[in-house]
Amino acid sequence: MSTTQTAGSLVSKLPQRLRNFFARYPPQIYSAAVAPRPEPTEEANTEPLPSPYTPNRDAKGHKRPDPAEFSPSRALLYSNPDHPNPFLPRKNFRTGKWISPRYGLRTQAALVNLAKKYNVEALLPPGRKSTDFKETRREERGLQIKGTGIGQKVKGHKWERTMESRLEERRKAMMEMPEMIRLWKQRGHGRGWKQWPKR
Amino acid sequence: MAKKAKSRTVVVRLISMAMTGFYRTMIRPRTHRPLSMLKYDPVVKKKVLFLEATKGGRAK
Repeated sequence: MSTTQTAGSLVSKLPQRLRNFFARYPPQIYSAAVAPRPEPTEEANTEPLPSPYTPNRDAKGHKRPDPAEFSPSRALLYSNPDHPNPFLPRKNFRTGKWISPRYGLRTQAALVNLAKKYNVEALLPPGRKSTDFKETRREERGLQIKGTGIGQKVKGHKWERTMESRLEERRKAMMEMPEMIRLWKQRGHGRGWKQWPKR
Repeated sequence: MAKKAKSRTVVVRLISMAMTGFYRTMIRPRTHRPLSMLKYDPVVKKKVLFLEATKGGRAK
């Protein structure tokens, strides 16, 4: 009883806008806390990409995400078919048309900000403006800079990509240098030299 | 029209055998044998062998 009373008093402290929202979409049905979190059905593709620091031309270091692929952030956006999530659009499978979310993205953002201020963000339905979604997506995509996400590599400049192989070639050449000079001296300082480099 | 006479000397490129990409440009008589010498390569900071690079991969 006392808990209900304290909960009631807490609710009364919330701004009218949030109270209206929770009255229309009760957290026990709609909130992100009660939404199930589906596990990835197939194994996530975590194999490392080929290093871009090779002269191999196939090593691009970046993959364009497939929109149909499973992603943790997309899995967060759950909508119960019986109680459609007001933050998400849904499809009418009979007509094939999309129905807009009940709350637009701007309104969602305002609601989330307000809920954050009063520490009740978990009671809102899952949406694209929630901290959870944003954090998960940030992890997936990195800083929106190509190559900084999980399993991605920065392409870098060509001199950076070919540095390893060039240094290795130089090191090998320097190892063979004394022998080469000895041969060169032996063959009359280039008189009998056959392997001239190509330009 | 008569063809222009070839010059007596040619400009050649001596490439560092340290594979640093460093080279020196020199002038030698056209009929002389290809140049090769020990010279300082500032990339590896050592005296290394420099060999004349043949244009079009044709050695003299």
